[in-house]
Amino acid sequence: MSEKTERTEDEEEVFGESSIIEIVLFKSDSCAFCPRAEEVIRETIEDFEASVFKFTVINVTENPEAAEEYGIFALPTVMIGGVSITGIPEPEMLLKMILSAKVYKKRGAGE
Amino acid sequence: MSDYTIERVKTGIPGLDELIEGGFPRGDTILVAGKAGTGKSILATQFLYKGATLYNEAGVLVTLEEPPRLIRRNMLRFGMDLAKLEQSGRLAIVDLSPSKEATPVTIGEYPSFDLSGLEAIILNHVKKLGAKRVVIDTLSIMAYKFRSRDILREEFFKLCAAITRAGCTLLLTSEIPAQDTGLGVFDIEAFLASGVIVLYNEKISDTSRSRSIEVLKLRGSKHSSRIHSMRITDEGIRVWPGEISPGH
Repeated sequence: MSEKTERTEDEEEVFGESSIIEIVLFKSDSCAFCPRAEEVIRETIEDFEASVFKFTVINVTENPEAAEEYGIFALPTVMIGGVSITGIPEPEMLLKMILSAKVYKKRGAGE
Repeated sequence: MSDYTIERVKTGIPGLDELIEGGFPRGDTILVAGKAGTGKSILATQFLYKGATLYNEAGVLVTLEEPPRLIRRNMLRFGMDLAKLEQSGRLAIVDLSPSKEATPVTIGEYPSFDLSGLEAIILNHVKKLGAKRVVIDTLSIMAYKFRSRDILREEFFKLCAAITRAGCTLLLTSEIPAQDTGLGVFDIEAFLASGVIVLYNEKISDTSRSRSIEVLKLRGSKHSSRIHSMRITDEGIRVWPGEISPGH
């Protein structure tokens, strides 16, 4: 089941030292495609060790300020490490995004 | 003729109300179309500024293109202090411009999305301010942000309906591409709106241009069918209802 994590001041976590990759899904109560998008993400990341990811779901109906802050207005949108994709994502695309987020972090750490 | 009269929202553009039976029909969606540099954003922002300062109607300006700091700066030239209105809760500028740093880089799109996020963002401000006027500037940018035109068309209809259902009069701006003869990049702009206003800045000689305004349609109103002179003055946009544009 979906355990919803509240968005915290975790910009540091997204771009900072931590090796955890944050996946953020923006959804709304009225969005017909959002439940499927959430399913795809959960199925894609379940093959990995749970500690690799932090999966946050932001419900824009309850928290429109978060969508405004990130400039997200089409839903569902998945954001991983500074890039995003709109619509129900394909698992391959999610994996690509996860990989590039990892590479980005490694590079960032080496500098 | 029936005695039924449509409630009018004063536009705050001197001279324009006279062309359209006193103002925009309340709760309608009005499209302001024009090529680059014709004054669409000024007209739309003036509609909100005057609404808040003269007619006690709070407004929400959703900017999809220009960053708020530039809008505030540009409007100050016409003596319109938007920051002051924002501070007093009579105006909200919703920054959805591409210049926002927190916005992630979009790397793709699947044709399975809606604009319920945008709707939630706008209605949140409408509710907070008790707003009666909403401007989306500019619709055209969506064509560059998203590829799935069919979805966008459908979603625009839903979005406009949701905003006007909340009791607001909605102004959409649409940029007409330079060589284009239509009303914008989607070809449906005119259907979205119950009123269409077109702004021109036509070359009338080798050395001069002339600004003008045309009310192309306004449902439920007897409007002028001529093209009228318009100027951008130190106090914003002004229309001369008695003057027919020399460019046409």
